[in-house]
Amino acid sequence: MDPAIGIDRLSKRYGSLAALDNLTLEIDRSEIFGFLGHNGAGKTTTINILTTLLAPTSGSASICGCDVVADSMKARQHIGYVPENVRLYDSMTARDNLLFFARLSGVREPSQRIGEVLAILDCPELATKRVGDMSKGQRQRIGLAQAILHRPDVLFLDEPTSGLDPLGIKTLRDLIVKLNRTLGMTIFMNTHLISEVSKTCTSIGVLNHGRLAYRDTIAGVLARFGDDQTLEELYLSLTPAAAA
Amino acid sequence: MTSRPAQIATIAGKEIHYALRTHVLSLLTGFLILAAMVSLTVSSIALHAEYLTYVQSRDLLLSLGKSINDLVPPAFFPLKLLRGFVEHVEIIGAVLGIVLGYRAAAVERGHSTLMLIMTRPLGRTAFLAGKLAGNMVLIVAGLAATFALGALALFVISGVGLGAADLLRIAIVFAAAILYVGSFFLLGFILALGFARLPTALLVAFAVWLTLVLIAPQIGDTMDPDNQVAGGVFRKLGIAKPEEKEILKSFATYETIRDDIEQASPAKHFERFSFAVLGIKDIYNGQPLADVILDRLADLWWLLGIFAGLVLYLFARPLNIARLSKEQ
Repeated sequence: MDPAIGIDRLSKRYGSLAALDNLTLEIDRSEIFGFLGHNGAGKTTTINILTTLLAPTSGSASICGCDVVADSMKARQHIGYVPENVRLYDSMTARDNLLFFARLSGVREPSQRIGEVLAILDCPELATKRVGDMSKGQRQRIGLAQAILHRPDVLFLDEPTSGLDPLGIKTLRDLIVKLNRTLGMTIFMNTHLISEVSKTCTSIGVLNHGRLAYRDTIAGVLARFGDDQTLEELYLSLTPAAAA
Repeated sequence: MTSRPAQIATIAGKEIHYALRTHVLSLLTGFLILAAMVSLTVSSIALHAEYLTYVQSRDLLLSLGKSINDLVPPAFFPLKLLRGFVEHVEIIGAVLGIVLGYRAAAVERGHSTLMLIMTRPLGRTAFLAGKLAGNMVLIVAGLAATFALGALALFVISGVGLGAADLLRIAIVFAAAILYVGSFFLLGFILALGFARLPTALLVAFAVWLTLVLIAPQIGDTMDPDNQVAGGVFRKLGIAKPEEKEILKSFATYETIRDDIEQASPAKHFERFSFAVLGIKDIYNGQPLADVILDRLADLWWLLGIFAGLVLYLFARPLNIARLSKEQ
């Protein structure tokens, strides 16, 4: 079986700047992968390439065996994406927003599916609410709902807890774990929050100036280094730019 | 996977739904209709004043026992009352197009939904086609309401029923208006998709509007020797058309420059075509429609060419990842 995400010697250059440098990574199905790195390390560039938004300069990447460049339409059927600070169409209700994305993704019986997804995310009461009237946490849930409507194999989350209050962070974290455990979704999460990674992820990768500096399972990291504090120190030692 | 026509229809449907929800279309169309109605009312008041002057002169001559044979009654062509209406469509219609075009891209970028759409199994072409289709429906609906109310108001104000031939002329101008406003929609959309900062895109769009809709036609009109005296310098001097053409041959370079400035403006092409079809321009008044259209075919080609050129550019230009959201 193909891995959920396969990245082979992936590079992306903007002129003389190397945003990604020879990145090779494989993420198995049903993993929750935390992608750590300082600002500008190349995390968003990686997600943009994996979600087919951006073409790499060299190397290749695939989602469930579908090349993100040569077979981008097929790759897109396997992915769901929640960008940082997703806002959706604020003058429309959550249901209208979700209907739009369900139809674009070719979801059969979209109304029924929307009901199911809102139930999974414990927020059926949001269906008739205008997105513009929602709190950030509620909007994030609807953003998550649009990303899983078509039952993707891999879910990409870019800084999912950015701007949320502690309760919102915990709720979202629980939802991510629920999606992974109940639906078997592989989750690729960009973040720079160590606490988020240690409580949610099954494995991590640390990116430093476009290069993969570290890769291990959370169990492996904790067995080797102990608690969260040590994980933070590990992160800072691997990413000197962040430490500075 | 959804079929491409279904995806285009989904995008188009969302555009219409969103525009109706945000009332932007109704506000802009309402403003256009209001301005058009005011201009129609002003034109009709002017016509009534002209008619009253004629009646007073006629009565005065009759009371003096003089003949009224030499007194020419004012000609009444109801479609001529649409002059201000066309000018308002020209100016406000272009603004409507730009605002719709800017919104079509800015809403997606500002809400990060463009990124989401581009990660769905949907081609860039289908996305752009859906956007274009949805907004063209909005433009056609807005203009249809404006033209229908304009025709109705013309009937009510002038008191003269419009014949099928008149309605056909209005319908032809309506079709030209769709191309014209559609071109400005494309301008706003392309700029808002292409510029890093959305406010800059809006600023550039309105700079283009100012240049093409207000400044260029004004320069052309100001430079026209025939516009230097009210009613036309050649007409006032009693110079016939063949002689006028002969005189203008001496100013060929000047006329070419003046004409080129006007040709650069889609507003002028729309105006020239509409004024000819509606008989607002005297030389076309009472002329058969086919002859008028043939004579002004170049203007129609210009309008078609600008619209088609912008559509081609929109579809040929790749979407820039750095322009998918407002922040980047």
